[in-house]
Amino acid sequence: MEQFLSAIFAGTASGSIYALVALGLVLVWRGAGVINFAQMGQAMFSTYVASTLIMNGYSYWIAFFVALTVGTVLGTAVDLLVMRPLSGKRGSAMLASPAMRGTVPVIASLGILGILQSAAGMIWAAEERGFPAPVNTLGLSIGGTVMPFTAFDLFVISVVLVTLIITTIFFQKTGMGLAMRASALNPEVARLSGIRTSSVRTLSWAISGAASSLAGLLVTPSANLSPNSLDLILIIGFTATVIGGLDSLPGGVLGGFILGLLISFVNVYDSPSDIFLAILVLLLIVLLVRPQGLLGSKEVRRV
Amino acid sequence: MLKIENLVTEYGAVRALDGISFTAVEGKITTVIGANGAGKSTLLRTISGLERAKSGQITWADKSLIGKAPESIVRSGIAHVPEGHAVISQLTVAENIEMGSLFRRRNFRSDVKLAIEEVYELFPRLAERSKQLAGTLSGGERQMLAISRALVSRPKLLLLDEPSLGLAPLVVEQIIQTVNDLCRKSGLTVLLVEQNANTALAVADYGVLLSLGKVVANLPAAELKADASLRAAYLGY
Repeated sequence: MEQFLSAIFAGTASGSIYALVALGLVLVWRGAGVINFAQMGQAMFSTYVASTLIMNGYSYWIAFFVALTVGTVLGTAVDLLVMRPLSGKRGSAMLASPAMRGTVPVIASLGILGILQSAAGMIWAAEERGFPAPVNTLGLSIGGTVMPFTAFDLFVISVVLVTLIITTIFFQKTGMGLAMRASALNPEVARLSGIRTSSVRTLSWAISGAASSLAGLLVTPSANLSPNSLDLILIIGFTATVIGGLDSLPGGVLGGFILGLLISFVNVYDSPSDIFLAILVLLLIVLLVRPQGLLGSKEVRRV
Repeated sequence: MLKIENLVTEYGAVRALDGISFTAVEGKITTVIGANGAGKSTLLRTISGLERAKSGQITWADKSLIGKAPESIVRSGIAHVPEGHAVISQLTVAENIEMGSLFRRRNFRSDVKLAIEEVYELFPRLAERSKQLAGTLSGGERQMLAISRALVSRPKLLLLDEPSLGLAPLVVEQIIQTVNDLCRKSGLTVLLVEQNANTALAVADYGVLLSLGKVVANLPAAELKADASLRAAYLGY
């Protein structure tokens, strides 16, 4: 029973991080039509900034908020410096076909990932370093009983929960959120309604950058930090979006939690070496039964 | 006044508008009629900035619209309701309407509220369905919603593309009458594109007949309607 509960808590905590990663991916996919492979590279970079601040004696919380800011700025910069100029080159022969228009930004994002990883290697050296958590990562005990979760698990779950609630309110209740949804669903009608879709697109990149830098901060205490330590998280996050539905924000979040729990249960009841087998089997089943993802809309498949 | 001079728009090698010139008089309904492929929709799409003009001039209230983005053109008082009941079906009715007024919220908050109340008065069916997804509406209701979305931006010029497309005659009548009332009561300038020439000419003040990207007639609507030879040559009845 205790083992079961601890699998649930650990799975929910890591699942909430995958949910954040998926949120970032879906935001940019819906807002800009790009799968951003640089996303966790951006997060790695902002986490390194936080780590450097902490090593230089700044408090965790200062480093935390600086990292979120760096993540937001990086997301904005990727759009303004790379993606927007690329989408402006529609006249060029290479971007003439719709297939290439879809592919070129994705390749560009791989290039950005390479640049960020090399830059981090140059600035901070490639060796791994640890990253602190703001609270204890060992088993929490209340009144002498050891709980099946750690204080850090609770911290991660609550931070992500608050983030998801804020995001939901933003999208459902604010004018800017409505503008973002409208631009993603039908850019032409959105523009005719006076929505500046290119600014909205930049905002998607910025929010996605913030969400992924948060994911980087939350996941790194459980692993170590190195220029490519977050690659795996991106792969799991991407799988989560495919399982949940690439064009659905709640779908990506759901996919993240499902994967977190799956990985945790395989880890506890089977063996860590089977984790990827389990993920692939789940992915295969979802793709066979519901190719658009659990909450995705069918329309997206024409892409 | 909307003034169009020698307007040319191309899709690749296809010249959709081949040097079009006419003016739409303020406070009047000008209808643009013609067969399929005459360039009617392209004309509206070029005015609203969705397509880029190859050459020529579009002037609205003495300012050129050439090279402006759609989101800027709507800010200068031109609202475009594109073909095919253009609403966002995954958003609710209320959200679709709100969308059209987002850009005015900061500076005209109270007027935005008023504008939304007005369209609900104009189309009470939308008020009843405000919480429903737009995708669940009937074709006629969707067209009303698309028009409402445009009206809450408080346009001076309304570009309407085939509002009758795929709708029952009774619904068409209702929508055309509403547009007519708006024009007569509040001085809205309307540029109405229609394939259904009879319906359009019945309410319009002026008629512009397009064929293969060129203006072949630009007359008061009644005269255009009465001209049997033009009708036979270009509209096929």
